[in-house]
Amino acid sequence: MSRIEAKKPSLCTNDPLTKERVSFSLSVLSGIVKSCYGPTGRLKQLHNGMGGYVRTTSQSSALLGGLSITHPALKVLTASVQNHISRFSDCGLFTAILCCSLVEHFQRINFAACTVTKISRHLLSLCTDYLKSEACGCRVSVDFDSIKTLLSLVRSILASKPACMLNKTEANHLSTLVLKAFLLTIPHTIETNVVLGKCVIIPVKGKRVMDSTVFPGLLIDIPEFQFARTFPVKRVSSSAIKMALFCISMSGDLSNIGEGTVIVHHGISLEVAVLDQLLNLGKQLVNDQVGLVVCQKVIHPSLKQYLKEHCVITIDRVGVSMMEPLSQMTGSQPIAALHSVSPTCYGSLKDLRTESFVSKHFLHLVPNDTLVCSLILCNRNEMAWDELKLACQTAEHVLQLTIKQPLALLGGGCTETHLASYIRHKSFTLPTSVLKAIDCSRTQYQLVADAFCRSLECVACCLEHDDGEILTDMVYGHFWSVQSGFPSDCNWSDLVLKCGCGIYNNQRNLNWTVLRSQYIPFAPQSCSNEPSINSTDHLVLDCFTAKCSGLQVAVETANLILDLSYIVEDQN
Amino acid sequence: MIMAFRNMNRRCHIGLQQLSSLASIGRTFLGPVKSYKFIVDESTSESILTCSAVRLLESLDLTSAVGQLLNETIQAQNKEYKTGMTTLLFLVGAWSSAVLECLQQNVPFSLIVSVMSEGLNSCSEKVQCLQLSVHNLYKGPNSVPIHFTSSSLHSHQASPCDPHNRCLNLHVCPTDYITPSLVEPVGNKTMPAVPGSSLIASSYIKRTRLTHSRYFNTPGKKHCSLQVDNFGGPPTGPAAYPYEFNDFGQLAMALSHGNQSSMKLVQDIVRCQQEVADHTGSSQFNIAEVVTCCLPGLSEHYSCVCPGYITLVSPEKATVTKQLQDRPLQILLVDGDLTEKYRHLGFNRPSNVRTISENVGLQESSSESLWINCVLDILIQAKVNLVLVKGNVCESLMERCILNNILIINPVTLNVLHAFGKGTGVQLVTYLSQVNSYCVGSSVWVDFWRTGDLSTMELDNKVPISIKAEGIHLVTAVLSSTVSSKMQITEDQFWTCAYRLHHALTDQKVFPGGGAVELLCLSHLKKLEEQSLKQPDKKPSEDFYMSSCWLTKSLTQYKPVVLKALASGWHQYLSRVICNTAHYASEFEASASIEHHLKKAADYCSPSAYILKEFNKRDKLMVDFGLSTKPEEAVKIYDNVTPKVEAWRRALDLVLLVLQTDAEIITGPKRNQLLNSHVSSEFIFL
Repeated sequence: MSRIEAKKPSLCTNDPLTKERVSFSLSVLSGIVKSCYGPTGRLKQLHNGMGGYVRTTSQSSALLGGLSITHPALKVLTASVQNHISRFSDCGLFTAILCCSLVEHFQRINFAACTVTKISRHLLSLCTDYLKSEACGCRVSVDFDSIKTLLSLVRSILASKPACMLNKTEANHLSTLVLKAFLLTIPHTIETNVVLGKCVIIPVKGKRVMDSTVFPGLLIDIPEFQFARTFPVKRVSSSAIKMALFCISMSGDLSNIGEGTVIVHHGISLEVAVLDQLLNLGKQLVNDQVGLVVCQKVIHPSLKQYLKEHCVITIDRVGVSMMEPLSQMTGSQPIAALHSVSPTCYGSLKDLRTESFVSKHFLHLVPNDTLVCSLILCNRNEMAWDELKLACQTAEHVLQLTIKQPLALLGGGCTETHLASYIRHKSFTLPTSVLKAIDCSRTQYQLVADAFCRSLECVACCLEHDDGEILTDMVYGHFWSVQSGFPSDCNWSDLVLKCGCGIYNNQRNLNWTVLRSQYIPFAPQSCSNEPSINSTDHLVLDCFTAKCSGLQVAVETANLILDLSYIVEDQN
Repeated sequence: MIMAFRNMNRRCHIGLQQLSSLASIGRTFLGPVKSYKFIVDESTSESILTCSAVRLLESLDLTSAVGQLLNETIQAQNKEYKTGMTTLLFLVGAWSSAVLECLQQNVPFSLIVSVMSEGLNSCSEKVQCLQLSVHNLYKGPNSVPIHFTSSSLHSHQASPCDPHNRCLNLHVCPTDYITPSLVEPVGNKTMPAVPGSSLIASSYIKRTRLTHSRYFNTPGKKHCSLQVDNFGGPPTGPAAYPYEFNDFGQLAMALSHGNQSSMKLVQDIVRCQQEVADHTGSSQFNIAEVVTCCLPGLSEHYSCVCPGYITLVSPEKATVTKQLQDRPLQILLVDGDLTEKYRHLGFNRPSNVRTISENVGLQESSSESLWINCVLDILIQAKVNLVLVKGNVCESLMERCILNNILIINPVTLNVLHAFGKGTGVQLVTYLSQVNSYCVGSSVWVDFWRTGDLSTMELDNKVPISIKAEGIHLVTAVLSSTVSSKMQITEDQFWTCAYRLHHALTDQKVFPGGGAVELLCLSHLKKLEEQSLKQPDKKPSEDFYMSSCWLTKSLTQYKPVVLKALASGWHQYLSRVICNTAHYASEFEASASIEHHLKKAADYCSPSAYILKEFNKRDKLMVDFGLSTKPEEAVKIYDNVTPKVEAWRRALDLVLLVLQTDAEIITGPKRNQLLNSHVSSEFIFL
């Protein structure tokens, strides 16, 4: 007998953003993401409070994945940021901070949501048009002939993740490795359809970061005792080893038995039947002169023994993540059946070696055409390794995005301040026809534009976590940090050293002013003909594609959140 | 699911305070004179005696996030190096309180992080000039000396050379049953004879040669100089260096840090492995082929090293052993369980298969007895007498095997199985159905483990037996301790010694010990500090990498303070070590002595040269572990290179990680608990 309970009525909240609880939660969330931003960002310990794994991180993907948020308005925010991260990997914190600031600043001017939406959409289009135009003053083109810009791009990403615990030498070493690994995945001959190879990250925890390295081909971790007894390999010819790749379990169980009950007569063993089938398969593999059998899952010990006695090397439990690179590298089709294996499924390898490296042992699969490489990633402990892996994956993804669109934006807050001064200038010189088209007054437009610019500047200011003061120059609109508490009559150029991205130094008088003070709008100059772009080693650069998308996502999401007028919650 | 969020205050950083107080409990473990700690569990009244950082943290209830991070860091160091954990723990404490002081002086967080981490980097590079090379020290077994102390003598008799030799001889000339009595030199000063020496004559000759130590026989061969790396340019010749290792034994003793008896065992292991290696061609100290067998309650005198595998078995199995001793056995190695229901990892049992039977009389239990019969058939047909099993063994099978004079030993670790696999050239099996001729090894011998007077013994109703095979490199260290509660400590100390020697040989270099390295760090940091005060850098220095530009600007203002904080860690470490050696009555005196040496080092042409000079003189500051009674026997103290530098780095990383953490985010079903706790006001709930 079931108990019947009356359904609870749904709960409807109007104007959710005006509620104190929501704005408080929003400010806490905004505080969390803001404090994590940049190379000196503060870290967060994520744990379950019951002795579980403690993850120390400042990266948006780990942070947002670990937060459990209940309020729908905040959920909208985190969901769109997480969606951005899944597509671009980079600029997650930028997106989240900008979105929070936009909501806070727009709420403060207290206009009708539709007016704000219209104007901010227009401002967004101004930004994206500017960023995509040749005249854009805060982007640099990435030259793939030299590694300097690419290295700066990678180094900026790694340096902005303090929980990786890298020092300068280690950051440089890893940046070079990530770039090297990426270059190994680019095909030598460019056809119409370019497919990049794969970089597989091999975990080695507990070792020094400087022990990390890159190998072309694939490395598969094997236990030491197997290492000693692996060779010789059965070869088809001197430079070809036939290989079979299985993606189903070869453990001899009946995993794909389906629903319902199977009735077996006493004395008949299903296990023995499956094992016979496996051994028949083994016979076929031996007859087909296969030299290496790789299985995603487990291989039955008896089959392993049989193959070993026939000089066939077996590797099992390689995991699903290895399957795609393995198949891509060797040309083998993953086999999903234990009978009638077609010889066309076999792939081939150029060579098979063993590598011993930082007291670990690997089987090195050398392909004919190296589009797959292995990045052996070392870090001292589990937590720092997790953080570093995430950072390296982000860097690899950013390089892939950059090869599609060879541009980079100035980092270190310079793009944000530059863009803010550009928008300020534009909003003052906006033709009346445009205002008419979006149906708002100039004052309204300028107020929203000011809130928009302040939000951008706010993101830049979040890079400073040690109570420094932020200046901007009135020529390029770049970001400069100085120690707070300076005397009012001092010479600015004595205080500043370099701008955030590292292009300019204090040599010229650039007419500095405190960032959030009122100043006359000016048209910021472009840095593109600056000689120091190519001479400076340590430019801070951001991914163009990821940041443009982040800007868009932030503005759209902020508009959506501001537009929420009712929340209907099902309470059952 | 809820999320709570706690902010950490700036001025009194909670995380750092926790870290500093947690780490302070390990202060007495530093140095050669350790104080033991009792850890008492109030609920069960059980207590543990410990003097190591790892065991201490293992036994503590560390539920706070910071405590857990500390434990993880210590465990990671332990997993990787097995040494340096106490140093790590101490430095975590010292550095976290030093950083707290920096915060009191309003030094920006980011500046502390980068100056400290680059400062440590600079020190780690600086101390490389103190490294002493050991690569030409290891010239084969002749360079491993034999020690004639009463305890080691005892162990050598007990060490199973005799039964082992007997076995091998028997194997070669199986008809000659008189051999055993011939080669049993009771009370003779023999060394483990070389396994594989097949003739009585040769082993006899060997023995007479061995009664005189090679240590005294060929002194010219084993003078291996210990050279100084990177010190004053390329080495010009051994004469230029004041450090000479006469032999391998000195290195080992110098690395023993007071645990001479454990280190002697390690030395014996190296020699044992070398002797086998001479016959098989492979070489070096292989720590993977070392196992321990603990005999709690026995006198320390029984500690010794034996080739092969020593383990404790039940009296029933001892009876089988008695039947099987004195003849070559056939061995089977099983890397799973020996039960009917056992399946290999990754085998999923289908839930929806039902077996029906037309024969009503058949019973459930019969399938097991069928299986046992089948297994027994296989074992008997393959003429297997000895089975080493990694996992569990079915009780009734065990009984049946005992009746059939088949000895099953379990559980046996994987490295032991592989050592036997390698030695006898057979493959491991998971199921007995796999057994074929490639899986059954021969020439394996079992015997009772015998003490010095060749008597067997019984311990807590268990009997130690030894299993040996021709060509096997496996060596067992039999450890005993009269005080049972000290057994764990004895075993830990043995492994620490083994790993110290292992690291010295893999690194091929050692540091001068007794505080020399830390002293150089202090002097180096002082120099950096003075430099930064003298020449306020106009341009950002390349050494110190700042992400924010104003921080680079204000580096000169804060750099001396932060470098001082970094130095204070090592300073505290040194004075604590000196204090624990009991040369000085107080930390104050110790500290004064350090200052005195620092001043002298600064006045000397090069601080590293001064430190090496003092190290050679073995001044009081250079901690003398008080091992020797006669000055000419005094042993120098050496430290491992990589484990030490890594321990520093891990300690600082942890402190800086906690420093940079400003909030704890707790996710989980503990909302009410947190709300009701006394700290609920510190949390924000989202």
